[in-house]
Amino acid sequence: MAKLPDLSIDFCGFKCENPFFLSSSPVAATYDMCAKFLEAGGGGVVFKTIGTYIPDECSPRFDATKKEGKPFIGFKNMEQISDHPYEENLHFLKKLKQDYPEKCLIVSIMGMNEDDWTRLAKDVTEAGADIIECNFSCPQMTQENMGSDVGANLDLIERFTKATLKGTNLPVMLKMTPNIEKMEVPAKAAIAAGGHAIAAINTVKSITAVDLDKYAPLPVVNGKSSISGYSGVAVKPIALRFIANMKQEPELKDIPISGIGGIETWQDCAEFLLLGCTNLQFTTSIMQYGYRIVEDMISGLQYWMLEKGFEKIDDFVGLALPNVVPAEEIERDFKVYPQIDYDKCVSCGRCYISCYDGAHQAIDWDPKERKVTIDEDKCVGCQLCLHVCPVDGCITPGKVVFKPEDQFGKGSEAKYKETVPGANRPISIGEYEV
Amino acid sequence: MNRSTEKTKEDGRKAYLTEAVPPFTITTAMEEASRCLLCLDAPCSQDCPAGTNPGDFIRSIRFRNYKGAAAIIRRNNILGGICGRVCPVERLCEQACSRTGIDKPIEIGRLQRFATDYEKATGLQVLEAPPATKAKVAMVGAGPASLACAADLAMRGYKVTIFEEKPKAGGVLTYGIVPARLPQYVVDEEIEYVTKLGVEIRLNTKVGKDVTIEGLKKEGFKAFFVGVGNQAPLMVDVPGKDLKGVTNAVDYLAAAKPTDGNMDPGKRVVVIGGGDVAMDCATTARLLGAERVMILYRRTREEAPANKEELGYVEQLGVQFYYGFKPLEIVGKDGKVSSIKGTGFRDGSTIELEADTIVFAVGQKPDPSVRSLGDLEFTDKNAVVADEEKDCRTSVPYIFAGGDVVNGGKTVVHAVKVGKIAAENIDKYLTEEAK
Repeated sequence: MAKLPDLSIDFCGFKCENPFFLSSSPVAATYDMCAKFLEAGGGGVVFKTIGTYIPDECSPRFDATKKEGKPFIGFKNMEQISDHPYEENLHFLKKLKQDYPEKCLIVSIMGMNEDDWTRLAKDVTEAGADIIECNFSCPQMTQENMGSDVGANLDLIERFTKATLKGTNLPVMLKMTPNIEKMEVPAKAAIAAGGHAIAAINTVKSITAVDLDKYAPLPVVNGKSSISGYSGVAVKPIALRFIANMKQEPELKDIPISGIGGIETWQDCAEFLLLGCTNLQFTTSIMQYGYRIVEDMISGLQYWMLEKGFEKIDDFVGLALPNVVPAEEIERDFKVYPQIDYDKCVSCGRCYISCYDGAHQAIDWDPKERKVTIDEDKCVGCQLCLHVCPVDGCITPGKVVFKPEDQFGKGSEAKYKETVPGANRPISIGEYEV
Repeated sequence: MNRSTEKTKEDGRKAYLTEAVPPFTITTAMEEASRCLLCLDAPCSQDCPAGTNPGDFIRSIRFRNYKGAAAIIRRNNILGGICGRVCPVERLCEQACSRTGIDKPIEIGRLQRFATDYEKATGLQVLEAPPATKAKVAMVGAGPASLACAADLAMRGYKVTIFEEKPKAGGVLTYGIVPARLPQYVVDEEIEYVTKLGVEIRLNTKVGKDVTIEGLKKEGFKAFFVGVGNQAPLMVDVPGKDLKGVTNAVDYLAAAKPTDGNMDPGKRVVVIGGGDVAMDCATTARLLGAERVMILYRRTREEAPANKEELGYVEQLGVQFYYGFKPLEIVGKDGKVSSIKGTGFRDGSTIELEADTIVFAVGQKPDPSVRSLGDLEFTDKNAVVADEEKDCRTSVPYIFAGGDVVNGGKTVVHAVKVGKIAAENIDKYLTEEAK
């Protein structure tokens, strides 16, 4: 058996066994929960946000966005910070650090005012935290100057970051809200105030659905509901975008980022790492499937690293960042035609429908033969057909053609490097291509 | 030991009365509908004899429009809930399914059942007939062809009356198909659906005996549809066929279903035949407590006309199949069946099975009394002569016919198709007449 790569990674000076952490949420609310995750192989936890303010929660408090009969892909939650007694939380922290000294204990805190932030920082530092995460971003807090109100307010960010630093000598990470346009701005403010790292993203303000009998958003709490945080697979693209933006900002490029948002598989993990994260947090997938999924993050990422020849995570952190470019820098002088494998085609005609109704009418349908053909004169190489085809490996990127020079001015085959995405290439399993 | 043999008699009767295939829930229906490739040309829809249009109704389910799905089904196939349960889908819509090119076809029948069940559960009745202002039309027999014809005519504004000789409507649906495949409540609900469209059903009224076509004409009926089915069982002429304990599928099934399974199925039962009716007889015998049930069929498993899913279900009930044998002689003792001897259909093998009950399920034919309907053209086997694929016209301009009494015995969905063709042509005929 091949020797599996090392997943350990430094985060804010702490040598973590691996980058897989529970995020501050219902899944990391007690000693037992965190211990179970750490036993399952997690590198650390971000303990659920502790405050001196103890919220009173509603019931029900969740909603889920489903797609056909599949497991949910988006999740709304109305829970606030920890509702355990303050002393009990500190006790959990002490016991966790005592029982799992090698694992990284990040503690999320949220104060009501500057003194409160300082006190919280001091107490959790004494209780054994390795890193402090300031929750500037919970979108469902019922108190003013708490939660995502803070993350959008540069003055509060500066004051609360400084107040936290006053109570501790530990690294301080600021958890940002995505409910703004540019996350770079508050992130820079937090770093300028002395913060050491960024965690992004917290949940996205949402109304997931409206109950068609009660005429109220879900979940309906005695006839009413409120806007609250959305998470899960559906928000991953939003998270990746914010992270790339921050990592490309000169003042932030060397600031450690803990990536959060829809992480469910090792592939998601690899994507966040490729965009520069050095730590990963997740909740929704745990709520859905349990702590055990970390086992597949660990082994899945290791096998991918083995395949790519990476010995350690640092070898590929941020590798995708240079490839995130502004729209005006995208090359536009060639097109990649789709190609159809007729041995695989089941003649459903879905590519024809989508090309006609949603693209460029470049696929023809022979109703008698039940056969689709691509009209290269009309095809623009958008590859919508490839995305709607239900058969693995049936439609793949094919011939590359360069637009005529007189028309577009700068056609050059030399500029064409690699436009065929590897992920769409069929691989062979036994005698079958899948 | 097969689990079913350990069941008590009451458990067996419960199983007999309960659908063997569980219904989809909303989640499982959505899972199945999302497997559908939503083909451009929907080969499934092209392969439904009744035009039920699965391509469209599955798309409706996929986009959470369950009531719309039911509407598509009902508009095309008034007996949609029944067909969803008894159609030989493996030879029709599901055989055509493009998904087969990836793994296995969509469970179309089960999705159809989901949509019609949903319609029922939400208290919706998709179809509403216009006032019956047009001519009076009579259906002879209340089987699937007549029900489909009646519903279609009612939707066209005709005043339709169905005449049924038996105490219950439904024909083979009520007196034949085993409840584990087609529960009686489903049949009753769909018949009620038809009557809600304004169709009247007169039970215990045999046309040709209690009333006549001539008499009904005098009452104002302008056109007739003959859909009386095949009421007489075919028998194989073997020695011992008159012994006590020898019966036929028609009588055997009709003793079981209308009594909710309160019949004595026999202890050791041999069913002769390899079609769906034979499977229903074997299911009935097994679930109602026969100790040993055997099927004797002259050809192979592959050649058996029974729906293979049904056949698999019967096998799983512990019924023993003897392929390649035809009956040679029924042996009796004191006037009662004691065994049946069989001989190889394609070779000289012999077999003897101990039995107290022999059920012939080798087909049915029109009852000779069908001739009392009137001066129609009949074949020498008493089938009514009509081109049911084209217009269902008989030799008498105002009499139309279709279904088993014409074609010798086909599926329920085919009967629905024929009923629709008849309705269209009765409408055409009466519209011409009115001019």
